[in-house]
Amino acid sequence: MHLELKEIQKSFGPKQVLKGISFAAESGKAFGLLGRNGAGKTTTIRILMDVIPADAGSVLIDGQKIDYTKVGIGYLPEERGLYPKKKIIDQLVYFAQLKGMKKGDAVQSVDKWLERLEMSEYRNKRLDTLSKGNQQKIQLVTALAHDPDIVILDEPFSGLDPVNAMLLKDVVKEEITRGKIVLFSSHQMNYIEEFCDSIAILNDGRVVLQGDLHTIKHNYKRDKLVVRSEQAARVAEAFAASCQLLNNDTALLRLSSPEEKTQTMKLLVDRFDIDEIKVFEPSLNDIFVEYAGSQE
Amino acid sequence: MKQFGTILLFELKYYFKNKIFVGVTIFLMAAIVIVMFFPRFLSLFEKMPETDEKRPTLLLCAEGENAESIVEAFTASFSNYEVLSMDFDIDKLQEQISSGEAECAFVLDDLTSYTYYVNNLTMYDENTYQADQILQNLYRMNTMIQEGISPDQAEQILSFQIEHKVESLGKDQMENFFYTYIMIFALYTVILLYGQMVATNVATEKSSRAMEVLITSAKPTSMMFGKVIASCMAGFLQILCVFGAAILSFRLNEAYWDENSIIRSFFDMPMDLLLYMLLFFVLGFLIYAFLYGAIGSTASKLEDINTSVMPITLLFIFAFLVVVFSMTNGNVDNLLMKICSYVPFTSPMAMFTRIAMSTVPWYEVLISVAILIVSVFGIGILSAKIYRVGVLLYGTTPKIGSILKSVWEA
Repeated sequence: MHLELKEIQKSFGPKQVLKGISFAAESGKAFGLLGRNGAGKTTTIRILMDVIPADAGSVLIDGQKIDYTKVGIGYLPEERGLYPKKKIIDQLVYFAQLKGMKKGDAVQSVDKWLERLEMSEYRNKRLDTLSKGNQQKIQLVTALAHDPDIVILDEPFSGLDPVNAMLLKDVVKEEITRGKIVLFSSHQMNYIEEFCDSIAILNDGRVVLQGDLHTIKHNYKRDKLVVRSEQAARVAEAFAASCQLLNNDTALLRLSSPEEKTQTMKLLVDRFDIDEIKVFEPSLNDIFVEYAGSQE
Repeated sequence: MKQFGTILLFELKYYFKNKIFVGVTIFLMAAIVIVMFFPRFLSLFEKMPETDEKRPTLLLCAEGENAESIVEAFTASFSNYEVLSMDFDIDKLQEQISSGEAECAFVLDDLTSYTYYVNNLTMYDENTYQADQILQNLYRMNTMIQEGISPDQAEQILSFQIEHKVESLGKDQMENFFYTYIMIFALYTVILLYGQMVATNVATEKSSRAMEVLITSAKPTSMMFGKVIASCMAGFLQILCVFGAAILSFRLNEAYWDENSIIRSFFDMPMDLLLYMLLFFVLGFLIYAFLYGAIGSTASKLEDINTSVMPITLLFIFAFLVVVFSMTNGNVDNLLMKICSYVPFTSPMAMFTRIAMSTVPWYEVLISVAILIVSVFGIGILSAKIYRVGVLLYGTTPKIGSILKSVWEA
C-alpha cells in the first residue's frame, strides 16, 4: 500500500497553515513527520484522517483518492484522554465498534491487546484509577484494536518509563513487520532514527526536507571533519576561526568546501599526532535544528 | 447508520448507569405514588371512632327577639362547630379565643351587623361569608313575614334555585387549564434539564480530550444525532415512568380522589391531547437538545457551559413565559401566541397550549408541525457542523459569528 499526500493546502481564516504539503509513505515502513510546534503536523494528520477538509490537494492510496470506508486508520493523538469515569473494557470496545468492528470481534481484539500490553488486570477498572503511563497504554489500544492499515502515532513515547517504552517499541516493530504504514510524529529524534526509513520535516506549513533518512544523512554536506587527537587544542588553535573544540581530545573542523577534504586530512596527519579523522555525519537532531529551526 | 446505533446504545447506557438519573427517576415515581395514595391513608385515620373527636367551639353573642332563631340558624349552618351562645362579655370572649378554648366568635349588634373574632385569620376562612348568608336570609325572611307573606312561602322564595347548563362548543378552558399547565411545565423542566445534560456531556468529552479519538472515529452527524436522540429517549422514558406511576396509582385510588375536580380533570385528559403532547415533546426536545449540544462543543471547559448556554435558555424561558401569561389571561389565541406557534423554538409549547385550550384548525397544526420537523433536521445538521468545528477549538470560547463563518467555510 502506498499513501501519498499531494499539495495539501489549508487556511484557518486569514492564516494559511499548510502551504502545499506533499509526502509519501509505504506499507511495511515507518514514516517520521517532524516539525516544531505549530508547523502544521496536527492539521496535516487531521486532513489525512478526514476530520477537516483540505482547501486544496488530495490524499491518495495507491494512486486513487482514499476511500475511508475501506482504509482503516488508527490514531494515538498527542493530547491523550478517554472517558475517565467509564470502565476500560466498555470504552475500548465502543471505540473499536465505532471503527466498524462487530461487538464480539471488538471484545476479542481489545482483550488480545490488553494482554499484549500487560494491562489485562485493569480490564474492568475505571480509567481514572490508572497511572498516566498506563492510561497511555490503554489509549494505544484505541489506535490498534481495529487492525488499521495506517497507524498514526503522535508522540507515542512521551510519559512512558523505559520498560514501557521498550514494550511499545516492540509493538511498533511488530506493526511495521505486519505491513502497516506507521506514521510517527515526535520530537524525540532518537526514536525516529530508530524506526523511520523516511522522514519529512515541516516548517511553517511547508515540507522543507523529505526522503530516505540514510540518503538525507549521506547527502548532507560533507564539509566537516571530526578530529580525535591528544593535540586537539593545538589543532583548534591552528585552524582558529573554522575549528571548534568539542572536548579535550576532539575538535570539529569546518571546511570551506567538501573538495578540501583530502588535502586537509593530509595536512592534519603531517602536522599533528592524530588518532582518528572522520567526516562528520549529522544526527537527525542536527538536521532537524538546521531545517526546522528558522521560522520564516 | 451502524455508527449511529453504536453511539445511541453507548449514550443510553450512560443514562441508565448514571446513579443520579436513576435516583431522581425513582424519587419522582415514589413521590407521586405517595401523593396519589395519600387520601387512602388519610381515610384510614378518618374511619376511627369519631365520638371522642371534639369539634372546635364557636361562640355566639346575640340579643333581642331574634336571638333564638339566630342561634338555631348558626347551629344548623356551622355543623362542623360546637356553637355556644354566651353573654356580652367581650374580655372573657377574647380571652377564650386567645387561649384556644374557642376558635372564633360572632358578636351581633343586631341582625344587620356583627364583629367576628378569631385568633389567626387563615386565608381560607369563609366563616364571615357563611354568617352573612345566614343573617341575610333571616333578615329577608323577617321582612317578608312583616309584609304579610307566610313563613312557608318566604322559605320557598328564598331557597329558589335557578337551573343552568353550560355547553362549551370548543374547549373548556377551566377544565384544561390545569393539565395544560402541568404539561407545559413538564416540557419546560425536562428540556432545560436534558439540554444542560447534553451540553455537559459534549463538553466533558471535549475537556477530557476523548474527543480527539471520537472525532477521528465517528462522523459528527452520527455523534450529534446519537447523543441527542439517546438523551431524548432517556428523558422520554423518565417522563413515561413518572406519569405512568402517577396514572397507575391514581387508578388504584380513584375512589378517594372523587372530590378533587382538578386532579380528576388531569387524569381524564383526552387521548388525542396526550398524543399531541408526546409529538410536541419529542420535537421540542430535539430542537433544543441539538442547540445545547452545539453550544457544548464550543466550550473548552465545563465552567464555560453555564454562560455559553444562556442565550438558548433565555429563548426557551421567553417561550415559556409567553405561553403561561397567555394561559392566565385566558386568551391563548392572541397575536403573539399565533406567531409563536409557527416559530420552531416556541411552537412546541405555544401550539400545544392552543390545541389544548382553544380550537385550532387542523391545517394550522399541520403547518406548525411541518415547520418544526423541517427545523429539527435543519438545526440537527447545522449543530453537527458546529460540533465538528467547535470540538477542535480550544482556548477562549469563540464568538457565534466566527463559528458560523467557519461552518460556512467548512
